[in-house]
Amino acid sequence: MLFSSITFLYFFLPATIFLYFASPQKGRNLVLLVMSLLFYAWGEPVYVLLMLAQIAVSYALLWLVDRYRERRAGGIFYILSVLLPFMALFYFKYFNFFMDTVFGIRTKTIALPIGISFYTFQIASYCVDVYRGRVERQKNIVTYAAYVTLFPQLVAGPIVRYSEIERTLTRGAELSHIRMNFGNGMVRFAVGLGKKVLIANVAGEFVSEIAALGQRDILLSWAYAAAVAIQIYFDFSGYSDMAIGLGSMLGFDFPENFRYPFISRSVSEFWRRWHITLGAWFRDYVYIPMGGNRVSMPRWIGNVLVVWLFTGLWHGAGWNFIVWGLMFAVLLVFEKGAGRLYDRRRFLPEAALSGIRHVYVGMVILVSFLVFHNDSLSGAWADIQALFGAGSRISRDAGDTQMAVYAYLFRNRIVMLCIGLIGSVPFPAWLWTKLRARMQAGAAGDRIVHILRTAVTAGLLVLCTAYLIDGSFNPFLYFRF
Amino acid sequence: MKRYKWEWGIALGSFLVCLAGMMVIWTVDPEETVSRSERRRLAEKPELTWESLADKSFMDDTEQYLLDHFPFRDGLRRIKAYFAYDVLQQKENNDIYVVQGHAAKLEYPLNESSVKRLAAKMTGLWQQYFPEQDVWYAVVPDKNYFLAEKNGYPSMDYERMIRLLSQELAKNAEFGYIDIISDLTADDYYNTDTHWRQEWILDVAHHIADAMGVGGSLNFSKGEDTGFTEHEIRDFYGVYYGQAALPMEPDTIVYLTDEVTETAVVWSLEENMLGGAEAGKVRMPGEAGAVLKPVYQLDKLDDGKSLDKYDVFAGGASSLQVITSPDAVTDRRLVIFRDSYTSSLVPLLLGAYREITLVDLRYIDSARIGEYVDFDGADVLFLYNTAIVNHAEMLK
Repeated sequence: MLFSSITFLYFFLPATIFLYFASPQKGRNLVLLVMSLLFYAWGEPVYVLLMLAQIAVSYALLWLVDRYRERRAGGIFYILSVLLPFMALFYFKYFNFFMDTVFGIRTKTIALPIGISFYTFQIASYCVDVYRGRVERQKNIVTYAAYVTLFPQLVAGPIVRYSEIERTLTRGAELSHIRMNFGNGMVRFAVGLGKKVLIANVAGEFVSEIAALGQRDILLSWAYAAAVAIQIYFDFSGYSDMAIGLGSMLGFDFPENFRYPFISRSVSEFWRRWHITLGAWFRDYVYIPMGGNRVSMPRWIGNVLVVWLFTGLWHGAGWNFIVWGLMFAVLLVFEKGAGRLYDRRRFLPEAALSGIRHVYVGMVILVSFLVFHNDSLSGAWADIQALFGAGSRISRDAGDTQMAVYAYLFRNRIVMLCIGLIGSVPFPAWLWTKLRARMQAGAAGDRIVHILRTAVTAGLLVLCTAYLIDGSFNPFLYFRF
Repeated sequence: MKRYKWEWGIALGSFLVCLAGMMVIWTVDPEETVSRSERRRLAEKPELTWESLADKSFMDDTEQYLLDHFPFRDGLRRIKAYFAYDVLQQKENNDIYVVQGHAAKLEYPLNESSVKRLAAKMTGLWQQYFPEQDVWYAVVPDKNYFLAEKNGYPSMDYERMIRLLSQELAKNAEFGYIDIISDLTADDYYNTDTHWRQEWILDVAHHIADAMGVGGSLNFSKGEDTGFTEHEIRDFYGVYYGQAALPMEPDTIVYLTDEVTETAVVWSLEENMLGGAEAGKVRMPGEAGAVLKPVYQLDKLDDGKSLDKYDVFAGGASSLQVITSPDAVTDRRLVIFRDSYTSSLVPLLLGAYREITLVDLRYIDSARIGEYVDFDGADVLFLYNTAIVNHAEMLK
């Protein structure tokens, strides 16, 4: 089920909220589990059984780990508990690609269960954390299943670790906590929905319009690259906002997943702001166990390459994702080296350096997202070349007509692009904070702020509903992961 | 804590009003079966079965059903249109733009392979069915031809389209081109619809008839006194009205009658296909029991018969129709390969042809038309609008 669907917004969500708060504290995890399974089965009526099987197997294996902890068998059960989810992930996500790449055999296409990459990582991190003693094994299978299937973050993240929501799952959310956060959660959800429906989808339409042309001039090529970046960012961060907002409404505190990544001044900073929970997962469960940066330089470079190869592959079984991941590895190594060299002799004023770094990261974002967005490397290469004028030759015969089309497409979407660019930096949040502070200084300031906030939320909901009813362009990009 | 209490109250209250309230309205709102503004039937409530659950069709159909039956649907679509136009400053909504009181659908770029495909289709038909006969073709421009470029909208290269079509046809056959484009202006079309107005295309009918050598047989003149009686059908909301989702004044359909159109009758393949034990058989126009209808089928205006008032012209979409005109001046026959524009043009040609056959290749395979159509001695005309020329893949 999509968050941005009428079914979810006007049926599933009110029903879930009602059942959740109407049931006694002890029964809430069961409500969450049942509703989460319904949520998942709505989109994956068959693969819901696969998810349930994975939950049951990992629960049983961890029970065996606990029972045989001091023996060798305990270690074997632990390895199995981590390995089995990844084997399932490999089969559904990478088997076709592996057979084709390694053996040149084209196998029958295997349908990818929605969200398998996300819940596999959650199960694996839980198994590791239990084995290492970071968290206690959850003995109640309903509570454990509720953790894995928790619908707000089930199909597109953020990747939530058990330790982050253990308290709410086991003790229940306190009413005072929910009272404080329910309204914020609603606003966050509505903002995420707006980011997805009003910006990402509209940017996606623009991307499709340009892609359908085949040829384009330089200006439109840059607009295309910007639209791709805006679509991916608003799609994914919008989903994360909705997930975090829903979590707040239900009493959970999910981790942040995005912190204005487009304002980064280095690739390493970008990855501290982009898909934070995935980066943290790889850092804690792959990079640091391999030694992190406390190893020799060649080994460190190897670690970085491995982590980013996996990060690329996590996003999809394709060469473009591998290249995309490795590209970041190379850039991270380059930044480290360049940073050391520059520190020896700082020859640029801070403002100029900052500007250069912003331009550099901007270019990396545009180019890398073209690689990410394309299904093939050749398509990505053509898009990148078009940024610099290659491949944009226009036949003399139809030149004027085509130029008129390019100019029209650009004019038609320029406001959306500007809104997207402004919305991807902290300026709107800063503006709201200032405005709120000014209003709260008045007598009935608090009430005005909250009424205004509620009105904006309701307005966003109405507008998004209008878009959903009128249009059918509504794919979530990150569902394929 | 007191502050959070009323915050929580506002949040929960608005949540319940917005989301749960809509659920309540839904259940009490009477269910519509058609959307008049979008001119389409709305999705029906899906049936829940194990099969439909397993193959996910129940979920997909439910989503569509809920979208189609959402309360205040038209109002919400209008809000979206205003947001797209006024806030996002888009020049169109759902590819429909409105300029000079006309709604038009963006159609670009020129699909040259489609033009070539159409030429190959026409040539193939000529070789198979009427290699010895005189054949003409004409292209009806869509409204973009008149509106797009001068209002800053992208459009096809129409000149190239016509030139390419002529070049392709000239390779293998001799087709006579009738240039009707210069006879038309944007005002010859309905404001809210794609089609042309019958009362304003008399010159087009004359031009076509003249080119085919029957102009002298037409029973009307192009001047003020045409000899036709005008009838009006008000409140015609065309196909672009619903798609644009913007407020527009409805059009008035004017249809023209005289003694020739009053006596002419329309035979349609779909209405004469037999069922039951005789399934697969067809009652042809001259046979006893054949279903014949008038040229202007006003019963289409009855509730539920048709969602498109333009269907009064010869009954609307049909794969194959034969219009017999007993009061025609000549015994000549005409076969037109056509789209919906021809429906309103053909009554104007009935004075010159005793029989006009209309073939719509969007609904019938070209390999099958030999079973029903006698091309021997008939004039042949291909009359397609530019959107069909640009999407010839829809022709079978």
